[in-house]
Amino acid sequence: MSELGPDSVLRLAPGCRLSAAGESDGESEDLLLIPEGALRLKGPARAIVELCDGQRAMREIAEELKRRYPSADALRIETEVGALLARLRDQGVLEAV
Amino acid sequence: MIYTPRALIAEITHSCPLHCVYCSNPLELQRRSAELSTEDWISIFQQARELGVLQLHLTGGEPLSRSDLTELVRAGRKAHLYVNLITSGVGLDGARLDQLIEAGLDHIQLSFQDTEEGSANEFAGTRSHALKLRVAGAIRERRIAFTINLVVHRRNVDRLGEMLTFAEHSGAQRLEIAHVQYYGWALRNREALLPTREQLDRSMEILEAARERLKGRLRIDFVLPDYYAKYPKPCMNGWGHQQILIDPAGRVLPCHAASVIPGLEFSSARERPLRWIWEESPAFNRFRDESWMPEPCRSCDRRTRDFGGCRCQAFLLAGDAAATDPVCTLAPTHTIVEETLRRVNGSDSRSWVYRIDPA
Repeated sequence: MSELGPDSVLRLAPGCRLSAAGESDGESEDLLLIPEGALRLKGPARAIVELCDGQRAMREIAEELKRRYPSADALRIETEVGALLARLRDQGVLEAV
Repeated sequence: MIYTPRALIAEITHSCPLHCVYCSNPLELQRRSAELSTEDWISIFQQARELGVLQLHLTGGEPLSRSDLTELVRAGRKAHLYVNLITSGVGLDGARLDQLIEAGLDHIQLSFQDTEEGSANEFAGTRSHALKLRVAGAIRERRIAFTINLVVHRRNVDRLGEMLTFAEHSGAQRLEIAHVQYYGWALRNREALLPTREQLDRSMEILEAARERLKGRLRIDFVLPDYYAKYPKPCMNGWGHQQILIDPAGRVLPCHAASVIPGLEFSSARERPLRWIWEESPAFNRFRDESWMPEPCRSCDRRTRDFGGCRCQAFLLAGDAAATDPVCTLAPTHTIVEETLRRVNGSDSRSWVYRIDPA
């Protein structure tokens, strides 16, 4: 499996999708539905996964997050976006295009 | 403790074109005339979602043998469920597959009985292998999540290497290698199906190596034959903890084998709200906490991990659903399992019996 880098473009793998708004009725969590069950997405994780649209590169996703969270540490955003996406790719939830 | 069900296993029919020698469905199958209607199922899906269910597994029998399958898939999605079809593939062609995908099907699990056509057809009790290969081809051409399921046993586990190669090139993202579990019809054929210890050990080595080799390309899950395990499996992750199974006639069960347990009354989704059955019914509460546990479970550190094992297996092997699962090496009844393994490891394979379809 190739290493992910700032230019990698990701999208959700077949059989993986975010629960639509309102689907998690009553629950404060966002869910990523996958063949084996569901993953809970905490904090900005849902927004990051949504940005994996098969168009944006990882660099652009990090930039977008920095715009949305201007007071957060930029380097930390880059590290955390990279770590989340690598983990989801290793789990087969995201695929590189 | 409040439990939230996460998966609904909907056995929409017991009718099946295959007659697998290891079928784990109950000995008494529900007839077609007793099956729930489309509307019944749609109501059940909505009730399940309200209870917290996220995943819907449409299974059987062969779910494709119901003509309203596309409608059920659509209703599942409409109820905000993740919809998985568990199928033999018999009855599926490109056009029907397109309909199911269009209706919102999220995932397909296709079964194979072997990689060798003659044996595959023999185990399935029907000539289905060539057709399954065509179905796998049709799935591969479409963008839908695809898992291959291969049930392994004494007569085919030596071809595990070939099975892995087959799965690797099938287009599936995931492979499930499941050793036969001895419930329903499979228990009748147990001595013809249980692998030897040598076969099991070899299969583990092959699987571990393949997992490493195929990392990132094919995910491999496997189910071990619990007869050889040291401790029991956490059956269904606990009785009435996470899953609901509804049989073709609407009977609501904690698992697909539970109807064998005498003295438990399983309510029908036709007569009671699903919430009442899940939360209040005596059957769902019978083995839910730890109060039923005998020793050695009661004081065992593993009780929160394996929940004393499988209640159905305890009944089937030891005659008491409230006994420690006899596969546990700590169980007082473990000798039953040891004797079976001694016979299996010391003799040639026996012949098996085929089951017939319900009317």
